[in-house]
Amino acid sequence: MNRTVLIIGTIVTAALVGVLFLGLGHDPSHIDSPLVGNPAPSFALKVAGSNETIALTKFRGKPMVVNFWATWCRPCWEEHPTLTAAAGELGDRVQFLGVVFQDDEAKILDFMRQRGAAYPTVIDERGKTAIAYGVGGVPETFFIDANGIVVAKYDGPLSPEQLQSYLAKVLTP
Amino acid sequence: MTLAALGRLLILASLLAATTGAVLGFASGAKKSLIGLQWTRRFAYAFAALMVLATLVMERALVTHDFSVSYVAHVGSRAVPLWVTIVSLWSSLEGSILFWGFVLGIFIAAATLLTRIGHEGEMPYAIATWLTCGSFFSFLIAGPANPFLTVSPVPLDGPGPNPLLQNHILMVAHPPMLYLGYVGMTIPFGFATAALFRGRLELTFLRLIRNSLLLSWIFLTLAIMLGGWWAYEVLGWGGYWAWDPVENASLLPWLTATAALHSAIILQRRGVLKGWTITLVQASFLLTVLGTFMTRSGVFNSVHSFTQSAIGPTILVFLAAVLIGTVTLLALRIDSLESDGSIDGAVSREGSFLLNNLLLAILTFTVLIGTLFPLVVEAISGKQMSVGRPYFDSMVVPAGVALLFLLGVGPALPWGRASREEIKRALLPPLIGAAMLTIAGVAFGARNPWTILTLAFGGYAIQVTVSAMWKAGWKARTTRAYVIHLGFAIAIVAIALSSTMRTQTEVTLAKGQTAKTGNYSVTFLGTELRNEPHRMSSVALIAIAKNGKAIKTLEPRMNQYEMMREPIGTPDVYSTIGGDLYISIASLEESRASLLIITTPFVSWIWFSVVLMAIGGAISLIRFRRVAPAVQPALIDKLETLSHTP
Amino acid sequence: MILTLILLIGIAEPPHGTPLQGGELERRTQAIASEIRCPVCQGLSIADSPSEMAVNMKAEVRDLVARGYTQEQIDRHFERSYGQFVLLRPKFRGVNTLVWILPIAALAAGAFLVLLTLRKLTKGALS
Repeated sequence: MNRTVLIIGTIVTAALVGVLFLGLGHDPSHIDSPLVGNPAPSFALKVAGSNETIALTKFRGKPMVVNFWATWCRPCWEEHPTLTAAAGELGDRVQFLGVVFQDDEAKILDFMRQRGAAYPTVIDERGKTAIAYGVGGVPETFFIDANGIVVAKYDGPLSPEQLQSYLAKVLTP
Repeated sequence: MTLAALGRLLILASLLAATTGAVLGFASGAKKSLIGLQWTRRFAYAFAALMVLATLVMERALVTHDFSVSYVAHVGSRAVPLWVTIVSLWSSLEGSILFWGFVLGIFIAAATLLTRIGHEGEMPYAIATWLTCGSFFSFLIAGPANPFLTVSPVPLDGPGPNPLLQNHILMVAHPPMLYLGYVGMTIPFGFATAALFRGRLELTFLRLIRNSLLLSWIFLTLAIMLGGWWAYEVLGWGGYWAWDPVENASLLPWLTATAALHSAIILQRRGVLKGWTITLVQASFLLTVLGTFMTRSGVFNSVHSFTQSAIGPTILVFLAAVLIGTVTLLALRIDSLESDGSIDGAVSREGSFLLNNLLLAILTFTVLIGTLFPLVVEAISGKQMSVGRPYFDSMVVPAGVALLFLLGVGPALPWGRASREEIKRALLPPLIGAAMLTIAGVAFGARNPWTILTLAFGGYAIQVTVSAMWKAGWKARTTRAYVIHLGFAIAIVAIALSSTMRTQTEVTLAKGQTAKTGNYSVTFLGTELRNEPHRMSSVALIAIAKNGKAIKTLEPRMNQYEMMREPIGTPDVYSTIGGDLYISIASLEESRASLLIITTPFVSWIWFSVVLMAIGGAISLIRFRRVAPAVQPALIDKLETLSHTP
Repeated sequence: MILTLILLIGIAEPPHGTPLQGGELERRTQAIASEIRCPVCQGLSIADSPSEMAVNMKAEVRDLVARGYTQEQIDRHFERSYGQFVLLRPKFRGVNTLVWILPIAALAAGAFLVLLTLRKLTKGALS
């Protein structure tokens, strides 16, 4: 029995298998946002279909749901009715805002005509706002409380239940 | 019987054959039973035959579009061409595991057939080890990754395989080559395990280990090159290696196998490093299992990853079991392998072999740490992080350059003890080659210090290699092995030049507009829509001219596959010996194209030189069996007697 | 105007370097961008990736370099939104130091082992 081999081998085995085992549940596409717990980056962007500009600061004092999306993203289509319904229901207590990512205005207006729009959508020209929010794909949704602090971020399309539970977080003070 | 049921039956039978054969093999190894060995061989053949049959059944289901078979429903499509249908066997997880079993079956059958004479003490253990791996893959196919499930109701058509795989013909060659390399490592692993079970390593048996290792090394070398070439031709960023986790996974066993092939040489000549060589062989196999885990567990993000799957834990259990088994066996038997061979001096060929092994081991360790580190950090702190190309470049480049240095100095040094005068005589002349290549490179425009160092060491190594080949004559075994060295030196030089001297420009061109980059001018002529049965392509027609002389029209395209939302870009490349002009599309409208234009010098030299390495490996392999052992018979006798003593 | 720019880019601190332009600007941009991960790609840097996201991020790097921000500041800027995930070259701090130190330590240990082996093996030759 060679002790050195046994000891080194055991360390290597334990380390390798341990790391891989801990990694098993790991989803490589999920990235935690460092923005959670910090003030939401401000922005002022043009509203789709008008020449108006909306700044984030305009909604200070009201909890917000900021949804990054695009017309070319299939999961965004699935998510759209969920957001529209929630905005219709809670529109007076929570401000919903869509931020369109890498898209053109004509397609966005077309999409909103066909599928309805319950809240304003702004256009993120050159993706500056998406970068500031650390967006790594669409859809991504940020939940911001009344003080302008990011409370949560969700990657992927929200189901109505998920949306409700996140909304509960921004609504309770 | 439906094809799905037939497939399931064949796989269950193969599981039975493999497990029975494995148990029988270990038992007859322990009992030294020749009849047991005979039967173990028969089970090995049966396993291979069943795996081949099962794969043929799957191919039949694919080609006849039998959508009642789950795998066909998953990757098949009536709209894709026949070649895509045939290769979609390895386009998705379940099929790729079945294909793995197929390759394993063929390897096991061939290795069993080729070793039917001699080594009766070791062979039962070797075959049993192979069949243990076979049982695992049969189990995967029968259970967690079963491609032969029955689908009901039967769909009329399927989505077709992953479009990235349909996008290029190289996809026909790269995965099978990689499987040949990966699966092939099972064979030397079995031999090495058998040597451990027996507690001795005869030189004739070492030759089996070395030849089988060299064979998988050749496949792995080609596979890595084809993967890089595929990435270059398809992914559109103009590079061939991104230090992606799965690329790293294919490099790791290549590094340890390269180390083992070298330590086997010094073992053969001097009788030292037996335990170390065996450890490297075992590590090469373990790293292929790790690579399988990395590609198929969904834990790593990569272009190569199959989607999230449930077989990750199963492969991890297998990896853990093989690791524990190997470590136990090594700890128990490594001392009985060691023999007291010796070497005469540190500054010698022998010394350079040790350094070569040190560098390759450190490279393996570094790449492994860098690849797994994000998982470690996330496990400890819950935070995601990246270890990417800048890290690997700054760690691996110095080690690679040192390896190239050794590739020149090592073979120049004489075997045994050498006098100062001899060493000087050996090391000085190749400085001419070093100077020549450096001057040529600098004249060409190389300025990066690492590139200049690479040119110097590369020139040195090439002169040493070529003159050694010249001296030994074209029939010598060393000459054939040095073809590999020559290919490697050229590849490293080409990699250094192509990665440090590429230029990249992003341009947006209106129809008819021209952009200039270097000697080339690039004119956007317009777009063209092309309909093929399985895809629609918008092609950008781009006329290229060099120094004002028209050359050809390049056609980078955006391919829209049926049932896929996002179009996939395919670049187009104009290759010359001196370098490539590479154009890929960032965005394309009818009258406007945003293009990425990349020029890369000497990139095609990489592909050719790696093929040269593979050729060198192949000719070394072919002639091995006819050549007498390099050591004196007296030494063999001495070693054999030594290794028989426990 | 300056205020909105600061708001848009989100860097509240003054640049620590000197503003760049022309060829030097491109070289710095390329060098810095090659160490920032493209979040929508698979392990590629924003210098390499042809995706729109990467092009946008690279434009932002160019803006910042042109205004005199240093690599350190630019890295921190992207890290604020994406976390250290976005840095392809792990910063030498905290647990990350291990990924840099371990290979060096292994090299030292390996070199020691090789020396030991060489001594053992050459001694055998002399006796």
